[in-house]
Amino acid sequence: MKALITGIGWVNSTGMGCGREHRRFEMTPGRLPEITRKAIFEEPYQRFGRMDRFSRLGLSAIAFALKDAGLEKWTRKRDISIIASTVLGCLDTDVSYFDTVIPQESRLASPNLFAYTLPNSFLGEAAIHFGLTGNSYIISSPSTWRLQSLRMAMISLDSGESDKVLSGVCDLESPDLFAATGKEIPGALFFMIEKISKKTGPAYGELSLDRKGMLNFNGRGVKDLVNLVQGCLAVEHAES
Amino acid sequence: MREVWITDAAAVTPLGDNLNQLWQGLLAGQTGIGPVLRFPVDTYSAGIAACIEDLSSNGDRSMAHSLLERLIPQVDRVPPDSLLITATTKSGIDNLERRHLGISADSRDVLLSRAADTISRRLGLIGESMNISASCASSTIAVAQGAAMIAAGRADVVMICCLDLVTEFVFSGFSCLGALSPTPCRPFDRSRSGLTLGEGAASLLLMSAERARREHRVRLGTILGWGAVNDASHITAPAKNACGLIQAIHLALKKSGCKARDIAAICAHGTGTVYNDLMELTAFNQVFGDRDIPVCSVKGAIGHTLGAAGGIEVALSLQALSNQVVPPTVGFDTPEKGAERSVSSSPADISGDCLLTTNSGFGGINAALILKKGHFP
Repeated sequence: MKALITGIGWVNSTGMGCGREHRRFEMTPGRLPEITRKAIFEEPYQRFGRMDRFSRLGLSAIAFALKDAGLEKWTRKRDISIIASTVLGCLDTDVSYFDTVIPQESRLASPNLFAYTLPNSFLGEAAIHFGLTGNSYIISSPSTWRLQSLRMAMISLDSGESDKVLSGVCDLESPDLFAATGKEIPGALFFMIEKISKKTGPAYGELSLDRKGMLNFNGRGVKDLVNLVQGCLAVEHAES
Repeated sequence: MREVWITDAAAVTPLGDNLNQLWQGLLAGQTGIGPVLRFPVDTYSAGIAACIEDLSSNGDRSMAHSLLERLIPQVDRVPPDSLLITATTKSGIDNLERRHLGISADSRDVLLSRAADTISRRLGLIGESMNISASCASSTIAVAQGAAMIAAGRADVVMICCLDLVTEFVFSGFSCLGALSPTPCRPFDRSRSGLTLGEGAASLLLMSAERARREHRVRLGTILGWGAVNDASHITAPAKNACGLIQAIHLALKKSGCKARDIAAICAHGTGTVYNDLMELTAFNQVFGDRDIPVCSVKGAIGHTLGAAGGIEVALSLQALSNQVVPPTVGFDTPEKGAERSVSSSPADISGDCLLTTNSGFGGINAALILKKGHFP
């Protein structure tokens, strides 16, 4: 199975943006930047300010990936799927929500916050904002091998379920109450992966999944997501 | 595309600790809905749910472990090389509640991958494992992804295991959203006023037909088709025109090679909320026209089990196909417009080999599966 990577977007402790705007990519531990609407979207977007941090993080990386692939503008809903991987999910939001429940015996429980206590809520927000009608779900794995969402994206393309899939990872810092559970580097990173066709726009390169489940980029094995982004940027800047 | 069989199914629900008890209870029109005793409910908009009797946490572990301990002994011969896909929305969230209250609780239980880790160790699985979370369509999508991997030859055996609990966290949330019915939910009834939460777990063993034949497995049913679509409309409400569910059903039909006329029954999501049930009736009418297809919802009997709903309903749908009868929709009395000839408070005979099961959830997700009749020993 072969497909093209046409867009990359990320938000992490070192910054945020689209693949084609950067020459280097790192994923290092550290505090995530404040994510404001103006930093991500040119147009007013009232709902963005009401979202929890986890949703804003994931949605922002998706927005950058779509922009990088030239797919951020739309007039008709599109069949694009979203498959994201997370370790902590929306645990930070869960803690914030339950803070509104217990002290006041639920009288001040926040319905707005509760709506974001599902890890897939930001996929719904992305679907609404960008008109994406494909499948959308979250993967969590006991192992930290975070290529799983990419593998599932490739299987989705292979099975004909989708022609385009946004695939990536999203994690906030671990909440204080659960500090021991957080081993992942916080940040969000998404790839726009498309079936090879005459309509496909400019691509970083070719992603393939072999029968053993191994991912390759331009014929070379993919070790992890950071390695994949660096490979994409190297190709892009070698060409430019 | 390889044929995908379901060779084993088990369930633990408020109507009993195994699938047969659940099936018999449903046919008898029983309900597991009753007063919530697990946490104080006097400040909430409802005081009822479908809880599993005597389910409790053990030491600092989440109740999810106790639920899995009731389910796993029922599971038949899971090959060690199985891919494990769990499906849950909030299975260990009771441990967040306990931490908030200053009670000792294992923080690892709040992670979405925890159930997969636990089951994998318990069954000695050596294959990969993952959890899929897509709100109330979680286990439907888990089944679809498992089937897709087998069909494409990327897996031989996939174990699906789904679970969710009635917790104060979830209860308070649906209460503040105004989504809980003060009385037991009444799916597709004109006087319905919201959902009733439930808890439960189910397991399904998916296997390629070749492998199943080689291992002399029983075919409880076949997964013929699947589809999942986001309606991209609203974060907590379904699209009124049912565009997402309609498309998901069409995708499942296309994948299965079935025509709409081949579908003999529908196991609907049927939560009992005004908008969900109307949306589903709109979708069924759009896809199936005026055909009188028996439609059932099990939420009036076992409550809305959230991420576990789809998996439990697949297990029940296999029973329905095998027995050629759909269970009554408990709580249904006065039909909503469009449900007059399809939904019933009594068991309804069906005639045919294929059944459609659907689930929809927050975030705009809609999922559909088409199952073919097998045989229950």
